[in-house]
Amino acid sequence: MQSLRELQRAFCAATLFGDTTALASLELVGGSLQAGARIEVYRNNILGNYRKALAATYPVVRRLVGESFFSAAVEHFVLGHPSTRGDVNRYGGEFAMFLASYAPARDLAYLPDVARLEWAIDQANIAADAAPIDVDALAGVPIAAQGSLRFTLHPSVRLVVSAYPILRIWRVNQPDSVGEDRVDLGEGGDALLVRRGSGGVSIERLGEGERALLAALAANTTLADATAGATEAEPGFDLAAALRRHVAGQTIVGFLAPPPARGKRT
Amino acid sequence: MPATQLPVSAGIGLRAPHLTQIRTERPAIGWLEVHSENYFVDGGPALAALDAIRSDYAVSLHGVGLSLGSADALDRAHLSKLKRLADRIEPAAVSEHLCWGHVDGRHLNDLLPLPFTEEALEILCDRIDKVQAALGRAILVENVSAYLRFGCDAMAEWEFVASVASRTGCKLLFDVNNVYVNAVNHGFDPRAYLEAIPASAVAEIHLAGFDASGACLIDNHGSRAAPPVWALYRESIERFGPKPTLIEWDTEIPALDVLLDEAAKAQRMLEACDAIAA
Repeated sequence: MQSLRELQRAFCAATLFGDTTALASLELVGGSLQAGARIEVYRNNILGNYRKALAATYPVVRRLVGESFFSAAVEHFVLGHPSTRGDVNRYGGEFAMFLASYAPARDLAYLPDVARLEWAIDQANIAADAAPIDVDALAGVPIAAQGSLRFTLHPSVRLVVSAYPILRIWRVNQPDSVGEDRVDLGEGGDALLVRRGSGGVSIERLGEGERALLAALAANTTLADATAGATEAEPGFDLAAALRRHVAGQTIVGFLAPPPARGKRT
Repeated sequence: MPATQLPVSAGIGLRAPHLTQIRTERPAIGWLEVHSENYFVDGGPALAALDAIRSDYAVSLHGVGLSLGSADALDRAHLSKLKRLADRIEPAAVSEHLCWGHVDGRHLNDLLPLPFTEEALEILCDRIDKVQAALGRAILVENVSAYLRFGCDAMAEWEFVASVASRTGCKLLFDVNNVYVNAVNHGFDPRAYLEAIPASAVAEIHLAGFDASGACLIDNHGSRAAPPVWALYRESIERFGPKPTLIEWDTEIPALDVLLDEAAKAQRMLEACDAIAA
């Protein structure tokens, strides 16, 4: 007799991969319905669950390609990318990478970046909450120590960079979007900050300097080095204004001052 | 102080489209059930909403992904997320399914049928013991719908289900719709099922609709419970006594009023059953 593991392996092979030898080994019994039709019910349920989960995470990708293209893409994706969690809500992080090499999507060069943006939104929505920065403590950091500060970004912060205007693509494909829905792919790329605030997840465009600054801070670089990078990316970059904005908007939620300077981690 | 037991009344499954309305209107409903995995998050609006709901209603955490019947080892990462959520929410009940969902580390993310063998029973009971030890409480386990049966079955489904409860001390979440669907799909008398289940083990009942458009009944939670399911529900509470009863709806989710109407129907039957018993 098959062990439970053998039976479960055979079930998986029969449902996902249409393995007829595996199906025969299950010795399905009873009823008027043939074994193949019974296993097909499960195949449809399983793929349907993944389709629903990915449609919830990637509504704009789905809208851009249409239902039947999306379903076929999900099926290909599922076979090559085994789910590793019992929580299907978190499935599909590699969908953007998959789309980049999915032949039928070859002509939609912007599609993987739209998927990356949607994944970032999904992740931002479930990231940990964080208290705002301790502004008084930050103000108390001696000027000489400021360059050595390292900032902590809100756990929801994601930076998404694309050579395509993905924010406009995303916006005109929202269910409540009205008006012009054509986007000129030649209008230039986007550097986007995705984060969750009190009003939910927001997406905003970043200038070259801000983009370099936040990417450096996210990589735990000191403020001095991050500033140098930002100024190089954008001559005349207004550091003070950018810091004020991202502290007030809680993109930056904590800092670490170097010893022996006074200061504290928040 | 959070309720540690579900009230013996009718509740509904809380789904995202109804969240705002429930929070603002606070309908008179006995309790709410949520899918545990939808709150396996570090923070954000969903968890905040559940915290708020929790202060108004008894909440049941109903898991769909722990895969108690997999030959693979118990998924400890999943269990620790469930424990973190249970510690935070202090639910009135924690339930899971009598099924499997992963093999060799590959998850299929569905409620898959087990063979009714001694080996499967032992594995299932071992996993339930471990989950109950980790959570520090008895869990409820639900009988699932099945669209096939295995040739290696060594016992009837109801013997298998009753054994799980007697061996582990866990409680049963008796899904009347799933019993009916399986009775039709596999040709047995649902009364035989009822008679095999000890009343004291049943801690909750589920009611839902099925899809009869195909060659076998599919448990799709996409409509009102069918008349024969209501009849079987009446027989169930006559046999088990009144039990906390949940209306589940997961596909083509209708207006909240439809769910509340179904719950009111279950509530009337619970009260009628109570009156007869009294």
